[in-house]
Amino acid sequence: MDKSLRRLFLIFTLMFLALIVRLTYVQVWAAPGLKVNPSNTRAIEEEMKVDRGAIISADGVELAVNHQQGEYFFREYPQGDLTSPWLGYNSLQYGRAGIERVYNEDLSGQSGILGLTNYWDQILNRPHRGADLKLTINMSVQKAAANALGNRKGAVVALDPRTGAVLAMVSYPRYDPNKLDDLWKQLNSDPDTPLLNRAAQGLYPPGSVFKMVVAGAALQENAVSPDTIFQDTGTVTAGGYVVRNYGGNVYGSHDFAQAFAKSINTTFAKVGVALGADTLARYAGDFGFGETPPWPLAGAKSVFPDPGTMDKAHVAQASFGQGEVLTTPLEMALVASAVANGGKIMKPYIVDQVLDYHQKVLEETHSQTWMQPLTPETAATLKQLMIGVVTGGTGTSAAISGVQVAGKTGTAEVENGEPHAWFAAFAPANDPQVVVAVLVENSGTGGSVAAPVARQVISAALGLQ
Amino acid sequence: MTFRTRELVFLIPALILTTLGFALVYTHRSAELTPASLVYGGLFVALFVIAHLGCRVLAKQADPYLLPITALLSTLGIVMIYRLDETMAQQQAIWLVVGLAVFLLVLAFVRNLNVLRDHRFIIGIAGLLLLLVTAVFGREINGARLWLAIGPVHFQPPEIGKILLVVFFAAYLVDIREVLTVSTRRILGVPLPPFRYLAPLLTIWALSMALMVFMKDLGTSLLFFGALLALLYVATGRLFYVLVGIVLFLAGATLLYYLFQHVQVRVDIWLDPWKDPSGKGYQIVQSLFALAAGGLFGRGLGQGYLTLQSGETIIPALETDFIFSAIGEELGLIGAVGIILLYFIFVYRGFRISIKAREDFPRLLAAGLTSIFGLQAFLIVGGVIKLIPLTGITLPFVSKGGSSIVANFILLALLLRASDYVNRKESLQRSPGPEEGRPDFGNKVAVGQMTRYGA
Repeated sequence: MDKSLRRLFLIFTLMFLALIVRLTYVQVWAAPGLKVNPSNTRAIEEEMKVDRGAIISADGVELAVNHQQGEYFFREYPQGDLTSPWLGYNSLQYGRAGIERVYNEDLSGQSGILGLTNYWDQILNRPHRGADLKLTINMSVQKAAANALGNRKGAVVALDPRTGAVLAMVSYPRYDPNKLDDLWKQLNSDPDTPLLNRAAQGLYPPGSVFKMVVAGAALQENAVSPDTIFQDTGTVTAGGYVVRNYGGNVYGSHDFAQAFAKSINTTFAKVGVALGADTLARYAGDFGFGETPPWPLAGAKSVFPDPGTMDKAHVAQASFGQGEVLTTPLEMALVASAVANGGKIMKPYIVDQVLDYHQKVLEETHSQTWMQPLTPETAATLKQLMIGVVTGGTGTSAAISGVQVAGKTGTAEVENGEPHAWFAAFAPANDPQVVVAVLVENSGTGGSVAAPVARQVISAALGLQ
Repeated sequence: MTFRTRELVFLIPALILTTLGFALVYTHRSAELTPASLVYGGLFVALFVIAHLGCRVLAKQADPYLLPITALLSTLGIVMIYRLDETMAQQQAIWLVVGLAVFLLVLAFVRNLNVLRDHRFIIGIAGLLLLLVTAVFGREINGARLWLAIGPVHFQPPEIGKILLVVFFAAYLVDIREVLTVSTRRILGVPLPPFRYLAPLLTIWALSMALMVFMKDLGTSLLFFGALLALLYVATGRLFYVLVGIVLFLAGATLLYYLFQHVQVRVDIWLDPWKDPSGKGYQIVQSLFALAAGGLFGRGLGQGYLTLQSGETIIPALETDFIFSAIGEELGLIGAVGIILLYFIFVYRGFRISIKAREDFPRLLAAGLTSIFGLQAFLIVGGVIKLIPLTGITLPFVSKGGSSIVANFILLALLLRASDYVNRKESLQRSPGPEEGRPDFGNKVAVGQMTRYGA
């Protein structure tokens, strides 16, 4: 009897040992995997206890705030869909995007000194506060840009050419981040891609707005000067490809400044072919083509084709921004900013300051030069050409009384439907404070559709409305 | 140091620990310490000191460690329940008072192990009735017919029934032990007792199968069968019975697996809860998440993520079947292993009583009660950590549940009674003193009674 009792006790010992081994496996060994298991909502619960930092625009408008319910905080976006292209969302179900994603460590107070105070907050069992963000966005410009674009598919970018600070960025269609969880499936299957920030991620043929790059190259290479004379017969043939002017216009004898102001394709085809694929590609690269814009949020690389693969026909088409050239509204704003800023492109940025809850600045963004495609002299010459576009060229509808605006139109032909309307501009021309790029998909000519949008945005940015 | 003084010495830190637990949960909730948290602590100090004094009078020589372990387990349980819901904790506190009262009553009425032995058939029938009564009158909750509603009070008679049946079988096995071990014939070289002596084995098997079929209660069925099989093994020392028992149970369980949906579901969930983590596998998956969140040191009492904003627990049945997961999350691996070790020490002390006993009845009684207690802790802890398929039973003394608390206090009282008897005998043998006039529980008596009831 003793023997069987001892054996029975041994069995119980082994059973309890098995419990301890298994428990150790679950709580220590398997725990890291279980914590990140997609079915595990506990990480979300942890996040919900954090008083996530507020996001405020440069002019003090609240863009992202929290409301507290019990010990949990819920994110709210008071500006609704107006801010969604760059602000993104912080969804418990679908993760994060935009500034909410990129600056998550600051907003949730995990980085730097706030990460240390997190432990202290845990010990004292009080909600942990994340850092606030102050953006470069000016909501009055943002609103003006959104109103000017209206319910047309497209994008508007406004930035300060002297610093690279983004003042406004609009993309349409967009979404209300407050309703993201409900709309998620619909948003993802929508063929109009409302989750895409067209301003930085949308790739479009630039059309004649690309002539800023070509003219910059031609002037800097001394291939032309503003008063170099060209003859237009309405067409020019390059490598078997017939180049025509928009609308079939014939301009006759004109100088290069007029070719730029009137956006004469035949002349630019000649200039482009004369410069050659390699030179065009080099200048495109100097203006930022082939690189992701160096800013914190997502962006697409603008495309200039590999010069080795280009024949004359390709070069001629690329010279007025057609063919295989693709770009984003942000990139076009940056190209214009080079002209506005003495040849230098500043790195674009959208977050100005990271602040703790006493509004003490923890981090501040300083403007930095990204590229210098043009000399100050070339930039000044090109600026004059761009002024000509607004005073007596294709972009007259961007003119503002009392302020000299410099710009360039683009009317990018697409396979089906109306062309994409482009306009890139800055003002005041003698002391540029704002550069704007506008794209309206399948809507008509840059001068008639996009230039008026740019005018309204510039007026708002200069405080004229 | 006398046994009882030793008991008091161990009881005090256990109760101080729980009072601290209450204070901790309370401060986490309201950020300030008010007398309310200490009132709970004070109440349990008083209750267990009364229980201790009861033991001083009623079971002087009983094991000194079982009551402090019980105090720690049951008050820790109530701290966890209090942390989840204050009203539930009040109910549980009332049941704890009832449980301790029943504990003292059992010690007072069962002054002598004879009482149990003499009334073994009444106890057996009562146990059987309690076990099966819900099959007829019970109401189904969570897929199992285990509940009996008497007015506002819900009670689970099988909890008590299974303990009474352990007592009965311990007594009955003493009666027939000789016959079970003395085989009379061999079939294929295997020594077999006459068929009618296999009857107890077949009876408990049939009973456990009936529990599964009629009450859809896997847990009680497994518990009951396992404990009685252990008892049979201790009584006979023959692995043969155990093997036959296991084969019978597996055969029955396999049959039921194919016949009954609820058995299949339980096993399938155990095999792969990740197939349906938000549906069928939800409970066990969330339990694993809770344990993982606890890690080595736990998130601290009151700091786990146990309830939703609505106050509902994230893991269904957290306060009963899954309370161990809550402990694992808030007290970590260290706390959870501590709980397992408390059960282990309880089981160890229980078997010690059994081994020390010189007579069959106290020996089998202690072994049976200890087995069913240890097995219950193993089954539910193993279930919530996915070591074995989940069976919905309570964690003894810790889970919320009146019947479970009362049943386990009865078990504790009987175990202490057996211990007191065994230790008294031992000290008597060591220093021959005046006979207390108790009859022997030796084999002689057992065989004598066998002739009376058995043959």
